[in-house]
Amino acid sequence: MSRARNESAGVALLGGAAACCVGVVVALAAWLAVAGFAPFWPTSVVEVSLRDGAVVLGERVAQFDDAQVLRTSEIERIGGAYRRLRPDDIVSTALPRDVLAIELADGRRLFARDAGDAAALLAAAGAIESDVVERVAPNALGFGSRCMLFVKRVARFVAGAPDTSNISGGVLPALIGTLTLVLLMSVLAMPLGVATAMFLHQRRGAYARALRSAIDMLAGMPAILYGVLGLGLFVHGLGARVDAWFFADRLPVPTFGSGGLLWAAATLALLTLPVVVVSVERGLAGIPASLREGSLALGATREETMWRLLLPLARPAILGGFALAIARAAGSVAPLMLVGVVKLAPALPFDAHFPYFHPSAQFMHLGFSVYDASMASPDALRGVPRAYACAALLVLIVLTLNLSALVLRNRLRARQRMLEPA
Amino acid sequence: MFVLLLLCAIPAYLLASAASLPFAGQSPDWARLGILFGGSLRATLCALVFAVPVGIAAALFAAHFCAPRLRGWLRAALELLEAVPTVVLGLIAFASIAPWLATHVAGVVVACVVAPCALFAWGLATRTPRRRLGWMPLWGVPLVVAALVAGVVLGAGIDGTRFVPASPWNTLLVGLVLGVATLPTVYAMADDALAALPSAQTQAALALGATRWQALVTVALPAAMSGLIAAVCMAAARCFGETMIVLMASGNTPLGGFDWLGGLRSLSAELALELPRSAPSGAAWRELLLVALLLLATTMLLHAVARVMRTRLRARQVA
Amino acid sequence: MNAAPVSVALSARDVSLWYGARQVLDAASLDVASRCITAVVGRSGSGKSSLLRCFNRLNDEIDGARVQGSVRVGELDAYARGASLSELRRRVGMVFQRPNPFPMSVHDNVGYGLRLFGLKRGAELDDRIEAALRVAGLWDEVANRLDDSALDLSFGQQQRLVIARAIAVEPEVLLLDEPASALDLAAMLRFEELLLQLASRFAIVLVTHNMQQAARVSRWMAFLHEGRVLEFGDTDAIFTNPHRRETEDFITGRIVSGD
Ligand SMILES: Nc1ncnc2c1ncn2[C@@H]1O[C@H](COP(=O)(O)OP(=O)(O)O)[C@@H](O)[C@H]1O
Ligand SMILES: [Mg+2]
Repeated sequence: MSRARNESAGVALLGGAAACCVGVVVALAAWLAVAGFAPFWPTSVVEVSLRDGAVVLGERVAQFDDAQVLRTSEIERIGGAYRRLRPDDIVSTALPRDVLAIELADGRRLFARDAGDAAALLAAAGAIESDVVERVAPNALGFGSRCMLFVKRVARFVAGAPDTSNISGGVLPALIGTLTLVLLMSVLAMPLGVATAMFLHQRRGAYARALRSAIDMLAGMPAILYGVLGLGLFVHGLGARVDAWFFADRLPVPTFGSGGLLWAAATLALLTLPVVVVSVERGLAGIPASLREGSLALGATREETMWRLLLPLARPAILGGFALAIARAAGSVAPLMLVGVVKLAPALPFDAHFPYFHPSAQFMHLGFSVYDASMASPDALRGVPRAYACAALLVLIVLTLNLSALVLRNRLRARQRMLEPA
Repeated sequence: MFVLLLLCAIPAYLLASAASLPFAGQSPDWARLGILFGGSLRATLCALVFAVPVGIAAALFAAHFCAPRLRGWLRAALELLEAVPTVVLGLIAFASIAPWLATHVAGVVVACVVAPCALFAWGLATRTPRRRLGWMPLWGVPLVVAALVAGVVLGAGIDGTRFVPASPWNTLLVGLVLGVATLPTVYAMADDALAALPSAQTQAALALGATRWQALVTVALPAAMSGLIAAVCMAAARCFGETMIVLMASGNTPLGGFDWLGGLRSLSAELALELPRSAPSGAAWRELLLVALLLLATTMLLHAVARVMRTRLRARQVA
Repeated sequence: MNAAPVSVALSARDVSLWYGARQVLDAASLDVASRCITAVVGRSGSGKSSLLRCFNRLNDEIDGARVQGSVRVGELDAYARGASLSELRRRVGMVFQRPNPFPMSVHDNVGYGLRLFGLKRGAELDDRIEAALRVAGLWDEVANRLDDSALDLSFGQQQRLVIARAIAVEPEVLLLDEPASALDLAAMLRFEELLLQLASRFAIVLVTHNMQQAARVSRWMAFLHEGRVLEFGDTDAIFTNPHRRETEDFITGRIVSGD
């Protein structure tokens, strides 16, 4: 076997690894897109005749090797009417055209043969007409109307409120919670991070070098440790102090002394600060020294040079740091679990009551919803699809925020035509 | 500037508060701590087994054999992967991969052997790459997929009692998904290490008549070695502290030992699960601070090693 | 050149400079006369740029740089305790070897210094920018592209742009560090004309390694060798009758090599 052939085999191995990377990313994206949006696609309602003579109506929600699971009319409670059917139980399966699928505001689904049947089911379920949020005859729908229904369902999911147990319904509070958190985090972290980077940029010597490596190291600390810090320092430390001083009348019920939006944002700000500092400083360092000297030679002080020349030039780097911060903040759920994210907090963090914005309120978060819906939902057959839907939404948000920051950065960079630092 | 103090406060806070809490005679539960540490370690090692070969090989390919356009794409794709919140990967592991993996462990093992062999054979059958290979990974994808599928099918045939996991949420699953999560870290750092080398060195080797492969093995690889080790350390640090994936895919059973098909519970998962329930400055709180400290110390150690390695890399470039 | 009474715009006395432990300038003394060109010549690495950077205290920005001696610009003692760096640098403009336009518009580049000293956007700013660009001989070329990026200009235009930027704040002394070293012959000759025009308004210190250029444009000349000013005087006198061996070697060597 020649050396050349061995080499070519080696290269093929390396290439295979690269192919693996590409494959993983593509597969992940495809899987997320499919699993994230499948829950909204209108499925058919089947009528199954069983060996014992019974006839059940419902939608197929899972398919195993040895059985399928049918969701039948949930008259009593949500998630309470699954039927596990094995192939040898089934005599025949049909798709009657005019069955009705009804969804109630609390998430329960009912399947009726006709209008009369529907009225009876509604009565049995203790619901009235105004509880009905969706009433369709899915088997009679053409492709176009299925698409319409799909869009409507997605809209209801994104812009609706969850039901009382967060098993079904919309995720608006979680969406708003996520966005508010990212916004608040940016407001806290960006100025501090940029200021720190400016400070570090002007310092040299052992002290600055030590700080720089400390910050480098902090950028790589596990997120959960920031959660521990946030819980110990902000919630139990600072929060308890604030409560003792300003909200003593409400004690022992904590106001700021328990996890909430503000502390979560502060924790995330700590988490993202090193990332921001590192990338802004790298941007500043990438600006050619000749420009800085040119400015100084014109009589600008160091501060003026920093504010008028370097900082505007570092804007792409600042935006790049912002993008990284967003990706890190919107994606880290673990620290939030320690500082105030909750399963269900349907109230939004801002409302019409003074002071309009409630930073101490507990909040929902899409990432936590993913975790909670998949791991702790009382109805697993709804929980996992719901978790996937939340996940797709979260990924969309992260990528949108991230990409828009990056696009903005590239525009600016193109305008300044600066060399890429580092 | 007080920001800096704030930043330095993080490790300081953990240390100080753990040290200042009176241990009141009870000694902490070292055995449990050991098990948790072992859990994190097992998850990390298993993830590295997947991420390191693939990540580094991909970086080597990108740096030496790949069309520049494709290299940019590869990097962008992996950056995209890095931006995906880990809770999403955890969900996929928990809800989709776990049930499948429970019955296909043997298939995965066989596939991991078959795929490289297939690639190797394919490489033998083709010509020596004198030039850059360009877009080969794109047509490599079907081959890899086919090899993996073949492996799984073959594995299904020999599925014996040896490869039955104790639980659908086990170390192998954590390792697979955590490996995917750290792939971007390994790749990016390895790519940086390789890109930092003066291309003149490789050019010189090529000018002397070396093939690209020889230039890689004799010049670039030794020069970049410390950078690659740094990449592995950073990836290990990242795996060690990762929370959501481990929390969702590991089953969270505090088991000792090194069973790669058994469940585990990591330091980070312990923090995420127990800390919200424990009252501040109680006994449980104290234990958890110790857990946090252990996590902190390990990641810092790994980072320090990576740092030393990178300094070496830089020294080498100057020399 | 008649011996009109020469007024001194900048005078350096016994300037020594260390970069860390390494001494780069050794008691260099120099007088820069108003309204004419003083050339500073010397081998590469002899400390010419360093000397210029002592005049506007740009060496303060380098870690480990230490300066002794005195530099006076008019009545201003540059190294006096409490001397204002901003004022010094406004009165002593500098143009670097490679043009370093800021990545902003042409307008903002030239206006940068003016705005530093408090001029607000408006007609006056625009007028002074135009004036500076006219003096630098760039106005005709950029009049209708003031809002384009300065980086879109050609090399020669960038060179004149940074000169316009430096003279917009109306300094007394203009330091030019090998400004013509990257120009071709024709451009260099045009550039020398510009220098001569500028010399009617400012005191100019011109660092150059091109002896012919120094001979063509300068009235006074200083020869720097290993950090010391070996010779300083009338340019013609030095060319015809150098006092030191080193100077002669340099002059003749350069001329023979045809640089
Ligand atoms: N920032 C610096 N740090 C240390 N040494 C320097 C620095 N700048 C210049 N030097 C040294 O000072 C000497 C004079 O440099 P320079 O003034 O640039 O010479 P010239 O401009 O005459 O070519 C050179 O030997 C150079 O290596
Ligand atoms: Mg010089």
